[in-house]
Amino acid sequence: MSDPQILVENFLNALTAGILVGCIYGLMCVGLGLIFGVMRVVNFAQGDFLMLGMYAGYYFFTGWGLLAFLGPYAGPLLSAILAGPVIFAGGMLLHRFLISRVSGLRTTGSLDEGHFGQLIVTLGVSLVLQNAGLIVFGSTPRTVNTPMSSSAWVIETHIFDSLVFLNKARLISSLLAILAAIALYVLLERTRLGRSLRAAADNPTAATYVGVDVDRAHRIAFGLGSGITAVAGGLIATFLSYSPFVGLDFVIIMYAGVVLGGMGSILGAFWGGLTVGFVQQFSGLVLPPQLQNAAIFVVFLLILLLRPQGFFGRSAERA
Amino acid sequence: MTEDRERAASPARAASVPAMPRRAALGLGLGAGAAVFGMGGLRAQAQESTIKFALLAPLSGPWARQGQLKQLGAEMAVDEINQSGGIKALGGRKVELVIFDAGDSAEKAKNAAQRMVAQHPDLIGGSGAWLSSFTLAVTEVTERAEIPWLTLSYSDAITSRGFRYVFQMSPTADDQATKALPTILDMAQRATGKKPTTVGLISGNDASAVSFMRPMRATELERNGLKPVVDETYTPPLSDATSIVQRVRGARPQFLLCITSNVPDTKLLLDKFAEYRLGGDRLPKIGNGGALGAPELGKVVGPQVIDGLMGIVANWGGKGSEEISKRFVERTGEPWLNQDSLMTYVDMMILREALERAGVADRRKVNEVIHGFDMTDGVAKLSPGGRLKFDDRGRRVGAELVIIQWQSGKPVAVYPPAIATAEPIWPNT
Repeated sequence: MSDPQILVENFLNALTAGILVGCIYGLMCVGLGLIFGVMRVVNFAQGDFLMLGMYAGYYFFTGWGLLAFLGPYAGPLLSAILAGPVIFAGGMLLHRFLISRVSGLRTTGSLDEGHFGQLIVTLGVSLVLQNAGLIVFGSTPRTVNTPMSSSAWVIETHIFDSLVFLNKARLISSLLAILAAIALYVLLERTRLGRSLRAAADNPTAATYVGVDVDRAHRIAFGLGSGITAVAGGLIATFLSYSPFVGLDFVIIMYAGVVLGGMGSILGAFWGGLTVGFVQQFSGLVLPPQLQNAAIFVVFLLILLLRPQGFFGRSAERA
Repeated sequence: MTEDRERAASPARAASVPAMPRRAALGLGLGAGAAVFGMGGLRAQAQESTIKFALLAPLSGPWARQGQLKQLGAEMAVDEINQSGGIKALGGRKVELVIFDAGDSAEKAKNAAQRMVAQHPDLIGGSGAWLSSFTLAVTEVTERAEIPWLTLSYSDAITSRGFRYVFQMSPTADDQATKALPTILDMAQRATGKKPTTVGLISGNDASAVSFMRPMRATELERNGLKPVVDETYTPPLSDATSIVQRVRGARPQFLLCITSNVPDTKLLLDKFAEYRLGGDRLPKIGNGGALGAPELGKVVGPQVIDGLMGIVANWGGKGSEEISKRFVERTGEPWLNQDSLMTYVDMMILREALERAGVADRRKVNEVIHGFDMTDGVAKLSPGGRLKFDDRGRRVGAELVIIQWQSGKPVAVYPPAIATAEPIWPNT
């Protein structure tokens, strides 16, 4: 391979990998952004919902084999989508019995608005989920077995005859991630439920005056945020292997994405995740791989310095 | 008990019982006290009647699976020791395995070691803690407590600190680096008729990988006439491998040293290599560490992608360990005997052998006995090289490396010939 060909190929593959990985990161961030945007809860257990989504995908397709009849292409993707409703229900229950005690109207007007309690409770939930995961799922790394993870559609370009590799699992996962994010956007913007969620986010007290059940809105938001992140987890499970502690590796990326996009903005969270994917891939072109994640935080700090509210912090509508 | 107390408190009953003389009461009290102390003594004696071996390994966190494999090997050894009559030199005293979780960081591993030492002051010896960085921390504690500690960890630093109570069963990372390249190049030459001249290096920056790669980069590549055309270091866990694999694709080495320390990183890299048309049939890849032979690696990667991958390990179930392999597979349901289980099994058997020779449950004596070992039979046969002798630093003399290769979805020993059960396959491209 000639030097220009290597250069062009590296650039094009970093670009495509950045888009593909970034879209999936974007969906993860949307889940966290929704919970923060509507409830103002900083959820430290979000990485563990991602983990639960991965395991749900695993059991639906590989473990119990319920969707194995759909084959190694459609089966894993449907498993990822089905992980959403399962974790949505789990998130609703968690909110009903635990999170609601340290959030919502109950804490409005308190000195810290419940943030200390929320930090401790979500951190505790995270630890419980990780260790319960270790007991229930075991320490053996799992993956949703599909040949898509190690195969690619190859595009031959005319620029120095360079090749672009589009990983099948990542490409399809990123398309599904975009669709899921659009569906959520439509739900929030075009439906009655979305309006009630936005009302509960903007001013919980005023929302109660106009008949919005804020507690229910928060419960749905928490369930949706958990479920969406779980779908992202199910999609990631088609190309990564993982153990119950995998959430720790992603929770930093989620927070970076949400803060980059602007805390509280759903659209911003998606763009933030996409940016993290881009930075991760493009930094690989010039920096050693061990500085990949460091590069994310350098960009993160720069944006906080130059635009502390994030990309969409003020201009975008909350939730 | 509650019933008795109620009865004694009842006035009617109290009235019917004559008052106890003071001396009798005093005597009864002393007698009861003596009985309680006596029972305590008996209980203490019962506890002392077992000999305690320790296993400290990661049982939670990203390396929990490796800890689990170590636990399987240790439990099998302890059960076999007890079933065969315990420690005969100590009147058949049984062995008790105490297990501590090293967690997911060196700090947690060190804390676990401190708890272990505090809770079990009568420990005779132990094994652990798999990851070199954990072992470095743990042995700081076990050395102070004078507990003989056997480890499979590779880092040279473990036995470069002048410690007297650490025994390293594996060839050290430096030693592996020195021995590995000539063996690999020889395999390549036999398969293709020519010696490779270019190599790619990919490694994590954990202690074991750093130890292995340092001498490679410093002297060994040059000594073996190899030019590194790509050299990348990453921080585990790897979040994406695209940029690394793209660089390898651009550089086109003749083979790759791919030093990963966990299953997720290995899967990510192997999948990406296959996607970029650099699978096992085109680019030979050699890693090191027991995780490369883990059954779950085959499951998560799949036979088409993993076949051809070679790994440098410190021990493997091959020729000479067929009986143990069979018992292990039957007992645990694991598909084969792996490095971590086999070496931990051997560690426990070495502690037993040392106790039998020491004839006393004193860990300092046991340590002296291990230092004085020079065996080529019994448990010594279960370690590559077939000799059990340690030098002054605690390194096993003559420790040989083993090379395994995934063939038809299963890792098999391909080197040295004394252990190998299959011929190595090197793609002729």
